[in-house]
Amino acid sequence: MIAVEENPQHVQQADIVVAIPTFNEAAFIGRAVEIVGRGLREHYPDRSSVIINCDNHSVDGTREAFFQAPVEVPRLYLSTEPNRRGKGANLRMLLEKLTTLAPHAVLILEADITNMAPVWVRLFLEPVFRGAAYVTPLYVRHKYESTLTSGVVYPMLRCLYGRRVRQPDAGDCAFRGDLVPVFLNAPAWSQAVEGTGIDVWMGTVALTSRVPVWQTLIGSPKRHRAKDPFAHLASRFRNVLAAMFDQMAAYADFWKRVKWSKPTALFNLDGQEMDNPPLVEINAARLHQRFLEGFQENEGLWRQVFEPAAMNKLDEIRRMPYEQFTFPSQTWAAVLFDAACAYRRFQDEERLRLLDSLMPLYLGKVVAFVKRTERMSVQQAEEYVEETCSIFEEYKPYLVDRWPS
Amino acid sequence: MAKILVVDDEEHIRLLYSEELRDSGYEVITADSGYKLLERIEEEKPDLVILDIKMVDYDGLDLLQDIRNRFYDLPVILSTAYDTFKEDSKSIAADYYVVKSFDLTELKKKIAMALETHLPG
Repeated sequence: MIAVEENPQHVQQADIVVAIPTFNEAAFIGRAVEIVGRGLREHYPDRSSVIINCDNHSVDGTREAFFQAPVEVPRLYLSTEPNRRGKGANLRMLLEKLTTLAPHAVLILEADITNMAPVWVRLFLEPVFRGAAYVTPLYVRHKYESTLTSGVVYPMLRCLYGRRVRQPDAGDCAFRGDLVPVFLNAPAWSQAVEGTGIDVWMGTVALTSRVPVWQTLIGSPKRHRAKDPFAHLASRFRNVLAAMFDQMAAYADFWKRVKWSKPTALFNLDGQEMDNPPLVEINAARLHQRFLEGFQENEGLWRQVFEPAAMNKLDEIRRMPYEQFTFPSQTWAAVLFDAACAYRRFQDEERLRLLDSLMPLYLGKVVAFVKRTERMSVQQAEEYVEETCSIFEEYKPYLVDRWPS
Repeated sequence: MAKILVVDDEEHIRLLYSEELRDSGYEVITADSGYKLLERIEEEKPDLVILDIKMVDYDGLDLLQDIRNRFYDLPVILSTAYDTFKEDSKSIAADYYVVKSFDLTELKKKIAMALETHLPG
């Protein structure tokens, strides 16, 4: 799976590995390497370390920019075959390499974070050196940022696996070296995971591995290069849900026994200065239109997938005028639970159609969230997300009862 | 019988919680401050802690962090007169919170949920 490996400093072993997955990130990777290098020098000068660029055979000079960055930390470059794409493919390659490097701690950071600071290296890695096996960040987020996490991933993973990990798919994480074989042998690796489903997949593997999962408070938002949040939403939505539903089948014996949820340990709570998150604007009227269009395209399929009570409720929601639009969280839980059960019964093509059909419903839920929270502070909106999660937990027996054996 | 440790510097709250929770079938022990709280937990091994956030000499959210660091999965319910504490990130380490009231229905519900919580392994 590793098609290209360049290891000019002949690194054979390292206590710390910092991995930066890329595809055509020449403009950003040099800065990321510099920041990581400073972080390693400032916080872990006595530990051996290596920075690995796991690349999708970029053609924009990413590899050259990676090696040209002025840092003293040894570097190693890995690439997939030219036609193999996806962050998951990058990280699979990384995991294979980690079996020989045998690190104590691994940190994965995305290349295009424009506000990354050297202290982030410590914020992610220190919990690992203090006993955590898997660490996810708590970035400062605007209430409308990452609605896929707030509305789908967080409530689902929390009610399924019983830990309150708020940003399990943030894209950056740290883990203990002994989780490497656990990831390599974990079930439900798929095309969706090779793409953007990888973050949910890794978080779920950690949550089901009975190891300490911590959250680390970064105190800043995660600022990327400018990009349209809805540009890749369709493929991301499909990959994330496919990864989640595939893992539900693999870990059914685990999640069926989970009742309610527990908090995780937190790192970096003292003396924390919080940055303000950047404003996120959502065109709710446009999303509402897409929600209504979804009925024309998918109603027949939905009637096969959803229980009559949920379908009746969706009919009611459709008839609501935009000004009074709501989407109760219990109905949303029923939609996702019914969809997960149908996904389990369906075959390949039907599964893809099902996943795509859920997108307009998700957009409807986003509209309801925006309308409900528009006058709320970020903190108040966060409490509303927590209430939604509690409803998913209360409603979980509905899923357990219907799950196809 | 589940054992509950009530930590609160207001005597009438300790009395109220003790009487009502004993009537509901729990064993209740109390502490009037956060002094040597971790040692007390180590000794008494409660199944759940109800922790006042604002005590005269102690910050309940700091105590919560100490508890979480040493007793990772011990359920802790925060008890507070006001819910402004939620603006502090430390509060998310609690299992649940309740606003203090003479009606303990909500507290009893949260206690039952915290004690029923099950994670495999």
